[in-house]
Amino acid sequence: MGFPLLTIALLAPIIGALILMFVPEDEHRTIKGISAFFTGISLILSLVAYFGYDFALGGYQFVEDLVWIKEIGVTYAMGVDGISLPMLLLTNLIGFSAVFASWNVNKRPKTFFVLLLLLIAGVMGTFISRDLFIFFLFYEVVVIPLYIMVVIWGSTKRVTKEYAGMKLTIYLLIGSAFLLVGVIALYLNAFPVGERTFLIEKLAQAQMSDSFQIFAFLLLLIGFGSLLSMFPFHSWSPDGYAGAPTAVSMIHAGVLKKIGGYGLIRIGLLVLPVGAKFWAPVIAVLAVCNVAYAAMIALAQKDLKYVVGYSSVSHMGYVLIGFAALNVIGINGAIANMFAHGVMSALFFAMIGFVYEKTHTRWIPDMGGLAHQMPRAAIGLMMAGMASLGLPGLVSFIPEFTIFIGAFKVYPVLATICISAIIITALYTLRALANVLFGPRRPEFDQYQDAKGPELVPLVVLGSVLVLAGFFPSLLMDMVNSGVEPMLKPLMDTLNSAPAIGGGF
Amino acid sequence: MNFSLLSSEMLAAGLGTGLLILGLIAPKTENRRGFGYITAFGLLAVLVATFFQYGINQSTFHELWIVDDYSVFMKQVFIVAAILVVLSAVDFVETLPRFRGEFFALIVYALLGMMVMASANDLITIYVGLELMTITFFVLVAYQLGDGRSSEAGIKYLILGSVSSAVLLYGMSILYGLTGTTTIPEMLTKLTWSPILVVAIVMLIGGFGFKISLVPFHMWSPDIYEGAPTPITAFLAVASKAAGFAVMVRVFLLGLPLEGAVDWMLLISLLAGITMVIGNVVAIPQTNIKRMLAYSSVAQAGYMIAGLMSMDAPGVKGILFYSMIYVVANVGAFTVATLVRRALDTDTIADYAGLGQRQPLLASTLTICLLSLAGIPPLSGFVGKFYIFQAVMDKGILWPAFVGFVMSMISVYYYLNVALYMWRDDPKDDRPVPVPGPAKLVIVLSLVVTVVLGVYPGPLGELATMAAKSLF
Amino acid sequence: MLKEYLAISMFFIVALLIPVAVIFISRLVAPKKTTPEKEEVYECGVDTVGDTWIRFKTSYFLYALVFVVFDVETVFLYPWAVQFQQLGTFAFVEMFIFIAILVVGFWYAWKEGALEWK
Repeated sequence: MGFPLLTIALLAPIIGALILMFVPEDEHRTIKGISAFFTGISLILSLVAYFGYDFALGGYQFVEDLVWIKEIGVTYAMGVDGISLPMLLLTNLIGFSAVFASWNVNKRPKTFFVLLLLLIAGVMGTFISRDLFIFFLFYEVVVIPLYIMVVIWGSTKRVTKEYAGMKLTIYLLIGSAFLLVGVIALYLNAFPVGERTFLIEKLAQAQMSDSFQIFAFLLLLIGFGSLLSMFPFHSWSPDGYAGAPTAVSMIHAGVLKKIGGYGLIRIGLLVLPVGAKFWAPVIAVLAVCNVAYAAMIALAQKDLKYVVGYSSVSHMGYVLIGFAALNVIGINGAIANMFAHGVMSALFFAMIGFVYEKTHTRWIPDMGGLAHQMPRAAIGLMMAGMASLGLPGLVSFIPEFTIFIGAFKVYPVLATICISAIIITALYTLRALANVLFGPRRPEFDQYQDAKGPELVPLVVLGSVLVLAGFFPSLLMDMVNSGVEPMLKPLMDTLNSAPAIGGGF
Repeated sequence: MNFSLLSSEMLAAGLGTGLLILGLIAPKTENRRGFGYITAFGLLAVLVATFFQYGINQSTFHELWIVDDYSVFMKQVFIVAAILVVLSAVDFVETLPRFRGEFFALIVYALLGMMVMASANDLITIYVGLELMTITFFVLVAYQLGDGRSSEAGIKYLILGSVSSAVLLYGMSILYGLTGTTTIPEMLTKLTWSPILVVAIVMLIGGFGFKISLVPFHMWSPDIYEGAPTPITAFLAVASKAAGFAVMVRVFLLGLPLEGAVDWMLLISLLAGITMVIGNVVAIPQTNIKRMLAYSSVAQAGYMIAGLMSMDAPGVKGILFYSMIYVVANVGAFTVATLVRRALDTDTIADYAGLGQRQPLLASTLTICLLSLAGIPPLSGFVGKFYIFQAVMDKGILWPAFVGFVMSMISVYYYLNVALYMWRDDPKDDRPVPVPGPAKLVIVLSLVVTVVLGVYPGPLGELATMAAKSLF
Repeated sequence: MLKEYLAISMFFIVALLIPVAVIFISRLVAPKKTTPEKEEVYECGVDTVGDTWIRFKTSYFLYALVFVVFDVETVFLYPWAVQFQQLGTFAFVEMFIFIAILVVGFWYAWKEGALEWK
């Protein structure tokens, strides 16, 4: 075993959190500095992993294996491939930015940053573990810090922060209960006693009956679907984001949700291909509901965070329909779009958080002309907004395009509806931005200063990724493709021959 | 007659009697703080002694008494619970007006009763152990002299406990009447279907169900948990319940045949499902932390008894593992409740406001312990639930897993409610919440063990597997 | 099997019938002349004084408890004493431990004042 790069990246925030516990409560600068330092380590390591990934070799790299619970076949198995690397990078990009986006948190900052670092570590762990058990452990680690952060530092607008936090938590946990039953059923069915293992690649080789795969996939779909805010399990998402503090919204919309999509692909598709094929048409229909329904609701929102919240539900619909296409192009697009949406929604929330911190309002009719006073924040909001409506040259154009190509082959009608929903997306994004940023200068906002110093970090980091990945899509797409193609190729026969529900409509 | 099989019980009996004598010799004016430490060290010695009993697997006194790995593991669960409770009670005992030394002696005697229950291979021996434990608890529950609620709880427990013991004894006597034996393995071969056996089994479930507070025999627990002194509540909630499980598993799995006799599994699984649901749902509106923990412990009993449904070693292993982590997490939570009550004189959840700023250690421990009870990964409660429901699912029975996991996620609602007050709100006043040394040890221990066993359950899991296999 | 129980159940039925019959017959036959004296609650032939629902001194219970403990001790001591020759040293030591435990209890009760009438 070589240099345990992934473990160090994973442990860095945890060590940071432990150190923070011994820092005095009123040393605000030290606390934030330490958090930035340790998330920075993780970011650098994940960049090293991303650019050090050997395409020629393919498969899992930076692998670490350690028998963990021998009795039930749990392995501390880490490793990244073309699917998990973009997610790992995304996590650390957003984690690092989230620390800076919370630079002005002065209410009990110690607790805040300890929880934030734990949250980042938890999300990171799910993306790099190759063992289902460890995956699940990390998956639920995130829920509790999330809840505590929402109820302490959240904001009460349309719904109270307690309501928002609890709704978010209970949705995720009930979803995870179904997921857990599915995971255990999978584990028990795959191999007889004595050979049982939680390693995902081993589980993928197991022979499981079609009916079992269909049943287990449904459980996973409920679990991961509620995390991904799949219609009709989406209603936690806008309320949750609106109640949450900036950093939590960023991490939640940016990466945490993506665990749902990642899990569907990594576990659902890879281990239960027959089940995936069976339920794919249902997913596609629900995806269209996500895209169109959420976009239309977003149109009617007056709270800026609700607009972005519903927009993120709508964007997850694209990911789902890309997944439901079950071909290389579609899945490529789904993963790339998760990355793209992560960067863009994190930037969006960071900027909204910044504006809200200054003006203490997110109510669109109360705002206007902010570009006069806060040009830098306005740039950030514009970039995120443009990426959201899929402007070519920014990160999300190519992924969305790829998704449509992939999905069109399989579901022509549904894909067309999705494509036309982009018009609504453009409508609500532009309308919201125009009302907030442009228009006559409002004197009551003159007292507020533009972003400066550490406040600029999220804008710079996420903005440059937004542009870079937009201009050089191959940076992202090659990586994703190198993970998806070898994984999906051997499954193609199974996928083509397996039946779909209702004959695939 | 192999007296060496009784060694750990003899040690415990010696310890208890020694404490009593010490209390007679020691001058009355002296405070009894040292007694707590002596008890803790003595119990530690007993715990070490039990490790030498692994692998013996023998019975003696005409099969009345059995020392197998299962009983040894269970005894260790009780002893660990007793040590933690004793340490957490050292400072509580100083506030008692009288009978301070006897407090520890009584805990040791209750422990002795539990140890007898774990090793009993015969209905009468079970009953003797059960009564030793229960009668000691009658005294302990009413220990707070002059406190009306404590006395009320004591009387309630006395009446209800006696009734349940009577019901249990009646069930046992019917079993004796049917088979002509009281030895558990012998019963297995002699029982056949008869209507009177149904009555016997219902009575057994009623009697044991009272001890482990299975719905619908759980009504006593909130009242008595609320009234009893908090360390005793902890001991009652963890150890006496674990002892009930220890006996129940042995009697039902080894003594009552399913084939050709009465299908007790139907009743047990029904009660398990109801217990999981009722315990969690009724816990939601509670405003008193001890009542909340009481209902939560009802729900925990539901999870544990579900492990019986697999009828094999993995299921029993789940029960064993779960009882150990349940002990640690619950004692941690109750110790925090003890300290908060001592400092702020309240058990109301709303008064925990701002504990996160007053005493971050207490607040973190309570949060972690409660979440472990809720079964959130990576805490040990999750692993315990995983072991139990995995074993049941392996038998092709899916519904307990669904009910169990969904209800445990619902339980997060009321557990997080406590966390909400502790972390969100600011303290109402600036009274300090002191954490004395021994209690701090208990708190740190329960915090560390809960997290470590969740992340790395391997060794304890293997020990539990070994213990469970010795039954079959 | 059932026949053996038949005799017992007959016994029970007869046993139940006799007292019922006696009470019933005495009701029929007895003359009914009530006086205040007859209406009194019967208590050892002495007139009751004050309320019957009073609290007793707990010392009664303590005495009773200590008495029961040593009463039970004799239950074990008699057979042991009769068979003492056959049982040997082992039983002697065992009984010694048994008595020692009881003595500790007695000592405790004494020291805590259970035997003083306060």
